[in-house]
Amino acid sequence: MWVERPGALGWLTTTDHKRVGLLYFWTTLVFFAAGGAEALLMRAQLAEPNNTLIGPDTYNQLFTMHGMTMIFWFIIPMTTGAFGNYFIPLMIGARDMAFPKLNALSFWIFLGSGIFLYIGLFTGFGPNAGWFDYVPLASRLYDPGRNIEFYALGLLFNGISSTLASINIITTIFKLRAPGMSFNRIPLFCFAMLAASLGLLFALPALSADLVYLFLDRNLGFHFFDPGHGGSTLLWQHLFWFFGHPEVYILIVPAFGIATEIIPAFTQRKMIAFPLVAIAELLVVFIGFGVWAHHMFATGIPTTTLVFFAGATAMVVIPSTIQVFAWSSTIFTGRAEFRTPLLFIIGFIVFFVVGGLTGVMFVAIPFDQQITDTYFVIAHFHYIIFGAAVFPIFGGMYYWFPKVTGRMYFERAGQLSFWIIFAGTNLLFFPMHIVGLLGMPRRVYTYPGNMGWTAYNVVESVGGAITLVGMLVLFANLFVSYRRGAPAPIDPWHGPTLEWTIPSPPPEYNFAVIPKISSAYPNWDVSDREADRQRLAEGVGVLDDGHEQIVSTFADGYPAEIVQMPHSSPWPILVALALSGFFAVLVVQKFGVAAVFAVLLALAVLGWHSKEPQEQ
Amino acid sequence: MNEYAVPRSTEARGAADVAAVARARRGPTTAFWGMALFVASETTLFAIMIGTYFYLRIKNLDWPPHGIPEPKVVVPLVLLGVLVAGSVPMQLAARAGRAGRLAVARSFLLVALVVQSGYFAMEVHEYAGDLSKFRPAAHAYGSIYFLLLGADHAHVALGLLLNLWLLGKLVRGLTTYRLNALSAIAFYWHAVNLITVAVTLTILSARL
Repeated sequence: MWVERPGALGWLTTTDHKRVGLLYFWTTLVFFAAGGAEALLMRAQLAEPNNTLIGPDTYNQLFTMHGMTMIFWFIIPMTTGAFGNYFIPLMIGARDMAFPKLNALSFWIFLGSGIFLYIGLFTGFGPNAGWFDYVPLASRLYDPGRNIEFYALGLLFNGISSTLASINIITTIFKLRAPGMSFNRIPLFCFAMLAASLGLLFALPALSADLVYLFLDRNLGFHFFDPGHGGSTLLWQHLFWFFGHPEVYILIVPAFGIATEIIPAFTQRKMIAFPLVAIAELLVVFIGFGVWAHHMFATGIPTTTLVFFAGATAMVVIPSTIQVFAWSSTIFTGRAEFRTPLLFIIGFIVFFVVGGLTGVMFVAIPFDQQITDTYFVIAHFHYIIFGAAVFPIFGGMYYWFPKVTGRMYFERAGQLSFWIIFAGTNLLFFPMHIVGLLGMPRRVYTYPGNMGWTAYNVVESVGGAITLVGMLVLFANLFVSYRRGAPAPIDPWHGPTLEWTIPSPPPEYNFAVIPKISSAYPNWDVSDREADRQRLAEGVGVLDDGHEQIVSTFADGYPAEIVQMPHSSPWPILVALALSGFFAVLVVQKFGVAAVFAVLLALAVLGWHSKEPQEQ
Repeated sequence: MNEYAVPRSTEARGAADVAAVARARRGPTTAFWGMALFVASETTLFAIMIGTYFYLRIKNLDWPPHGIPEPKVVVPLVLLGVLVAGSVPMQLAARAGRAGRLAVARSFLLVALVVQSGYFAMEVHEYAGDLSKFRPAAHAYGSIYFLLLGADHAHVALGLLLNLWLLGKLVRGLTTYRLNALSAIAFYWHAVNLITVAVTLTILSARL
């Protein structure tokens, strides 16, 4: 029906959700490597006491950049940008995202913001006050370089990309579902993406406001965080964590979504308690908005206030546990086939339960106050953010590899990579619980030899190296498979959702005939798919007049209209370039030049809208 | 028509066709959802800034602090009334657009643009006047005062640009794309007007 423009220009101007998803995928992998290198440098430094490999100043930049990179430039863009972009339209039977050009724009802004941040690091001005960047440490007085400008502007810049991506994902799931896919038939993966996007949409403004305050305080002498002039240092923490805690759930919820796709495929059984799991995915994020002060138990806020937040935090256990029981009972009662993707999901469940149990411990306010800022906290959130959030990403890479590349990966090497990473991760993070309880504070670049911490740190560093080896096996497997793997059939796993009904890799238009849906597991509705093939043979519901897409009603998925979708456009990348220029000159306080870039930005947006869909 | 018995809406030619598509609509368009979600995000941003205002206020004994004049009451309220009144021609323009009455839609849009531009000019004048009395760098009060008002004015300015662009588009006839834009931009203005009500009342609360 249509083909993408070939060559580099095709990729630069693409608005195809699969290509944008792949661009996201490769870019986030580069940032993952950067964040991983930062982590390994830190582990090398901490491998022995009184080490002088890395000085304190570099170490500060390393842990700050590691946190920012892994959260904002790896997990979020990997889950929403790469997996979300590629698979949401395929799972709901659409031919693209609701706003294809906006989708490309989110990617280019994301790329620009990442380059912006790393320019800071390589010019010696990497952010250095921790990823949560508390004032007054991050104020001009104590951090006079340009480091925090790269932090504040980099995250603002990145936040624009995430906001646009969220708007796009939510609208796509609301409006572009294939006829018959009512709200209760949306795949659980899409429910998870919906929850994450809603979370981002309402959490990011708090961070954006906070970052603007910080920038104004540092550059124009405003006093938001200056108690000497009526400001408040705690204001930063409140707003940061009002964003930051929902953010933690935004990181983990897409992992739930990937798990709820892989488990049915490898147990050949529909998810137990489907509606409860869908509601739990949304509820985790919703409750996440009421728990932020549990990051602030040690700041001297009145105990009455803290008790409320402790209670709200304990509440998160309910939707989390519903999901844990739903996943595990689906595996137990289905015909489980322990291939690599399912192994990663089982690893994920183990890590999620361990990390969740230490999380529950923090609800006890005195315990939390005791171990705040120790390695116990690091252990807890790495079990969640690496073990629970990243393992499903690895699982998802294996699971969808045949679909995206048209090749099968090597199963034995895949299972080997799982076991190495699983062992390495536990060696890396479990001793941190103990060393934290022994009192080792986080964010120290070295420690004396007589504290009893040395052996644990050595084990952790060895664990880090093993994890690296496991990931090298994983990526080597995928790389070699891409070159030499056996050709993949349309549906190697007998998967439950619509992406397994179309060729591997999918054609530009995804679906030759728009499918009709009668359940949340459409690929298992054999007669429906037979009917689709019949309609294709008769040319009914083909919509082959240009880039046509069917738009349906919000709740019931009734067809509402047929629209022309935009295709390749140079404007997204031009808009992103103008925006990059704007942020780049703000770092050096050239406000006049920034205004010029703002005008260029407006002109590019005007050019973007010069052609209407019916004129293309 | 086609096997789904739904219109190929982007291909409607002429005001009558566009109106027919609009009549056949079952629920909001993707354009509307996009705008509604954007507005939800911006509203959250203002809620956070208004929260900051009151958070800083309870941290301070004197609000506004000594040496900074209390905010004006009459002029901002009158201007607020003018801006909110602009919602009426915006809504009428959207309605006329949906009925395919292009000339009427353009006229109402122009009326709205004139009212909103007048509001904006007066507010810029007031803002500059405030800056000559005290600076954002004087005290946290000044910081949040100027940021909150400035952010609100920026959203009005964006609305003006949107209306100007839309008027330029509508001069060349009506399409479904332009009608969707008209509805979405009218919605944007209603939201900005409500945000401005909240911001103005927040600023005025310093006199209580």
